[in-house]
Amino acid sequence: MGSSLRRAALLASLCFLLAASAKSQSKWLVVEFPHDSPVLMVSSGLGPTTARVRGTSMELDLHASVMLRNTGTKTISGLTLRVEAQDLTPSGKGSVTVPSLDAQPGQIFPVRIDMELLRPFNAATNSGAVVQVSLDCVLFNDLSSYGPDKLDSRRALMVYELEARRDRHYLANLLAAGKLSELREELNFGLQDLSLQQLGLELLHEPRPQFQREQDVSVGAVSFPSSPVLTMGGAAHVWGNEVRAPQVEVKNRSQKSIRSIEMGWIVRDERGRDFVAGAVPAAMQLAPVETARMTEPGTLRFSRPAGQPMVIGGLLAFVNDVEFADGKLWIPSRLDIKEATQDPTLRRALATSPEQQKLAEIYRRKGMSGLAEELKKPE
Amino acid sequence: MRSGEAKQSHPALSTLALYSGGDLPWAERWRLRRHIQQCPECGQQVSRLHSAREQLQREAGLETLTAFEAIGDWNRLEREMLGNIAVGVAAARCVDKVGRGRVVLLRMAIAAGVVGLFVAGWVTHVPKEQTLHLFASLQRLAGAQQPRPVAGTVVRTLPDGIAVRAQGATLMIMHPQTAVVLLSGPSAVAARYVDEETGQVTIAKVYGQ
Repeated sequence: MGSSLRRAALLASLCFLLAASAKSQSKWLVVEFPHDSPVLMVSSGLGPTTARVRGTSMELDLHASVMLRNTGTKTISGLTLRVEAQDLTPSGKGSVTVPSLDAQPGQIFPVRIDMELLRPFNAATNSGAVVQVSLDCVLFNDLSSYGPDKLDSRRALMVYELEARRDRHYLANLLAAGKLSELREELNFGLQDLSLQQLGLELLHEPRPQFQREQDVSVGAVSFPSSPVLTMGGAAHVWGNEVRAPQVEVKNRSQKSIRSIEMGWIVRDERGRDFVAGAVPAAMQLAPVETARMTEPGTLRFSRPAGQPMVIGGLLAFVNDVEFADGKLWIPSRLDIKEATQDPTLRRALATSPEQQKLAEIYRRKGMSGLAEELKKPE
Repeated sequence: MRSGEAKQSHPALSTLALYSGGDLPWAERWRLRRHIQQCPECGQQVSRLHSAREQLQREAGLETLTAFEAIGDWNRLEREMLGNIAVGVAAARCVDKVGRGRVVLLRMAIAAGVVGLFVAGWVTHVPKEQTLHLFASLQRLAGAQQPRPVAGTVVRTLPDGIAVRAQGATLMIMHPQTAVVLLSGPSAVAARYVDEETGQVTIAKVYGQ
C-alpha cells in the first residue's frame, strides 16, 4: 500500500516535470556563447530525449546536436564546450572537446553531446535550464586561443594539436617512404578490435586516513630521452585495487623554467601487464636543475572492464608533456616513445593520440587512398 | 560271590535318580524298567526318589509363592521396571550412536571429498583476482570488512559513459564502447572516441571538485 502510494507520487511528480518542461524545451538545455565568440551557434536540437523514473530519482537522457559556425578569420584546430547541470553545480561538471577539427573560417561543423542526468525528485530547482552548455576554449591553428578556459582546456588542446602534428608528420613520412606494412600496423590494420585494453577508473576526492593494510609501493619511471624533466621514482600507498596519494620526484634538466608538468601513470597488474591509466597535469614552478615532488591527491580505484577489481602490482610514471614558463610545450617525439620501452603494447599505448585515432578511423572507412588524401591536407 | 554279582547287576543310584526324573534315554529307560520290575530293592529305591522329588517340587512351589508375594511391593517393582527400561533405552542409544556415528563419518568424508575437489578446481581454474574479489565481497557481506566510506564527489567510468556524482545527482556523458578511457586530471576522467555520425574525434570529460 505504502509503496503504491509512493510510486504514484513519483509518477505524479514526473508527469508534472514533463508537463512543465514540455512547455519550453529550452528548460532542458541551453547553449550560450559570448557575443564576440569566434564560433556561434547556428542551430541546436534535442534528439530522442527521454525521461523516466529510476528509484527515487528522475533520469533524463539528453541527446543534443549543436551546429556551430567558425565566424572568425582563423582556422580552428579544436574547441571545448563546458557542460554544467544545475543539480551538480559547483561540485561536478563535464566537457566535450573536439580536437583535430580543422574548421576553416565560415565552415559549419556539428558537435554532439550525449548525456544522462540522474536527479533526485526532492532536488531544489531554479528557473534556469537543467543543463547549460557554454564555450570554454577555442584553439586556432596558430596556437592562439579564445575563451574563459575555466577547465584548463587550452593546455589540453595545445597538447592534442602538437600530438596531431607529430603523428601526421610521422605517418606521412611512412607513406612517402612506402612503408605501408608499418603504416598499417600503426593504424591497427583498420581493425577496431585491436584497440587498447581498457581500465575502469574511480576517483575519490575526500580526505582519507591511512589504512593499516595499505602497502607502500615504489613508483618506477619510464623515461623519454629528450624529456626536459627527469623522473626519479617515488612511492604510493596501495591497498588491493586502490592507489592513494602517489608521489614522484622530478628534476628539471633543461635550461628553462617550467610552469607545469603533466605526469602520466602506468598501472601494472598482478600478472605484470601494463596499462596506461592516463595523465594528470599539475602546475609547478620549477627552475633549471631544480627538483621537486609531485603528489596526486585523492584515491584512485582500478577495475577490469567487466567491473571486477584489478589488483595493483606496481606503478610507473612518465612525463607526458611539459609547459615552460614562456608558454611553449614539450611532448615526447616518436623516437622518444620508441626508445622508452621494449614492450610493444605499452609503446602503442604511449603513442596513441586523438589524431592517430582519427586517422585510424579514416583508414578503416576509406582505405589507404583515403588516408593518403587526408595526410596531404596542410597542417 | 552272589551278593557281589547281585551288586554288579543293580544300577547305580544316580542312574535310578535319572530314571525317576525321566531324564534317561529311551533304550536305557526301557532296560532299567525291566530290571526294576524284577528287582524289588531297586523298585523301592525309585519310589523313595519319586517321593523326594515330589517333596522338592512342593517346596519349590511354596518358594515361588513366597517370592511372588515379595514382589507385591509395587513401588519397588516400578523402580526396578523403570531402571530396566532406562538401561534398555541407554543401551539402544549406545547402539544407535554407533551406527549414526558411522553414517555421519561417511557423510563427512564424502563432503570433504567434494569440497576438496571444488577447491582444487577453483585454484586451478579461477583467477586469483576473482578469488580476492569474492573474498572481499563475502567479508563485506559478513560485516568483517567495512567498505571504505564514499562521500563527496565521485568520478568514475562506466561501460557506456563517464560519470560524476555530487550533491545527490549524477551527470554521465555517454560514449561508445570503443572509447579509450583515461585519467585526465586530479579530479577528471576522459573518454576519447570517434563519433560515428560526425567522424570527428571527440573527448568527453567529467570533473569533480
